[in-house]
Amino acid sequence: MAALEIPVSFEPDPVIQVYMRDIDLTQVRERLKLTPAERLLMLQQFIIDLEAIRGAGQRQA
Amino acid sequence: MSTSFGTLLRALAHGRVDFIVVGGIAAAVHGASRSTYDLDVVYARSSENIERLADAVGPLEPYLRGAPPGLPFRLDRTTIGRGLNFTLVTSAGDLDLLGEIVGGGGYAELLPHSEPVTVFGVECRCLSLDALIAVKRAAGRVKDFEVLAELEAIRDEKRRAR
Repeated sequence: MAALEIPVSFEPDPVIQVYMRDIDLTQVRERLKLTPAERLLMLQQFIIDLEAIRGAGQRQA
Repeated sequence: MSTSFGTLLRALAHGRVDFIVVGGIAAAVHGASRSTYDLDVVYARSSENIERLADAVGPLEPYLRGAPPGLPFRLDRTTIGRGLNFTLVTSAGDLDLLGEIVGGGGYAELLPHSEPVTVFGVECRCLSLDALIAVKRAAGRVKDFEVLAELEAIRDEKRRAR
């Protein structure tokens, strides 16, 4: 197997550990119940909805 | 205009381009919640693949993202061969074509660390969760810290579920 330029590390990074305190694990668990295809469809729909909201905001301005 | 990830991925897959999905879309494939607005792929640098890539992306009217309009830019095999990483806007949205990524190298190095996924009706390869964490750690960008924390939480959850 070709090696990555840097090895995959499983050692906790103290900086990232601080950020991990704010992760909502209930949401993580819900997303892990979805398939990769479902996750991307959700992201795509979010972006479409966001674009629609932005467009509506610009029309009102 | 919002990016149509399905259109971009289908164009690459149907064009038989050798590529690996990396970046924010790879993170979303693995379960990250952060939104992303472009598709990042690492492509193989063989001359055959560069030709397939130019043919696949050409119909999407690629242009250099952020560049002033009217530049004589054509994403053909010569352009791709002479360059390496391209940040593009296309008729289907923003597309980053990467010959290499920090910490991961090129397509050949990343391929063993990728896995097949079927998304938007096409099968393509996506960087594995461990490799994605490794390259994001290597990049060391502050803007990646939150998604890195989420990816590591996902890795912990997956280990716990085994």
